[in-house]
Amino acid sequence: MSWLRAASLVQGPGEERDVFDEEADESVLVQREWRSHMQRRVKEGYRDGIEAGKAVTLQQGFNQGYKEGAEVIMNYGQLRGTLSALLSWCHLHDNSSALISKINNLLDAVGQCEEYVLRHLKSITPQPHVVDLLDSIQDMDLCHTAPAEEKIDEAKDDRFYENNAEFNKNCSKNLSGVDCSSLKYCRTQERAHSENPSLTWILEQTASLVKQLGVSVDILRHLKQL
Amino acid sequence: MPGSQDMFDAIVMEGYEEGSSLGMIEGRQYGMLHGAKIGSEIGCYQGFAFAWRCLLHGWATEKDSKEMKVLESLIGMIQKFPYDDPTYDKLHEDLDRIRGKFKQLCSLLNIQPDFKISAEGSRLSS
Repeated sequence: MSWLRAASLVQGPGEERDVFDEEADESVLVQREWRSHMQRRVKEGYRDGIEAGKAVTLQQGFNQGYKEGAEVIMNYGQLRGTLSALLSWCHLHDNSSALISKINNLLDAVGQCEEYVLRHLKSITPQPHVVDLLDSIQDMDLCHTAPAEEKIDEAKDDRFYENNAEFNKNCSKNLSGVDCSSLKYCRTQERAHSENPSLTWILEQTASLVKQLGVSVDILRHLKQL
Repeated sequence: MPGSQDMFDAIVMEGYEEGSSLGMIEGRQYGMLHGAKIGSEIGCYQGFAFAWRCLLHGWATEKDSKEMKVLESLIGMIQKFPYDDPTYDKLHEDLDRIRGKFKQLCSLLNIQPDFKISAEGSRLSS
């Protein structure tokens, strides 16, 4: 190991005699040098490993998430588009402002559903168990890097709960003046793949709106996948 | 030191595995946001177009009127658009064409595309 020889040769101008006088000190010094060298190598190696691994799967993950996001939100977009069409219809026919404000409220509600669904979808990713990895590194009696990524994930979870509470607050604010009995549905947290109950309410309201406008219910036919 | 190279390799591999799963998670988060933006906008145009097709039919407009032509053209463009494929090479080109067609439709129908209809209205684009 040439670096071992090099390490023992590195010395200040006045220290020549000190380093080679006591063999015991020299081996302790060498050991310390070796350990800090290994620790540096390990840190760098681990970091390089992470970067290499990430580079391979980042695009893959992106493509997968893109597809999931687009498919889930598409339906809500269609609902928003349908309501927008009804809104513009109302404007053209000078319909009552009560109906127009009802449609605007429903549009806001759909927007909030979209946000909620997307956040919920993001939060159900299983987190990696860095703790197990750290235990094994610790057993090797080497220093380990603190997982900054784990902290970021916790922050993401916190934001999810924060925004969920915000969503509930906004939900009640925007839907006041309209039937509020199903608002309690907004406050329940459910699994991503079960139906969003407030969406059911929005669809019911939309159907009754369509009847009020004297428009054929066919207009909602393309929304049946919701 | 025998085995120190093996130990080192093992550490790099563990980093690699960690990085792989981090990459999937991070990539998925970014992907979802972008995919949802597109899905929301395209879905909105589609819902709007389908609804207006129904409304125009109900009012017995001539089937070959300009509005119906533009409407059918927009619907056709949307149905051909692979909205869930981020690697589609004509993604932005087609998206711009769809947006243009939507604006044309609104102007024919005498509608101001207000903020709730267009992409800027979607909360997901903030």
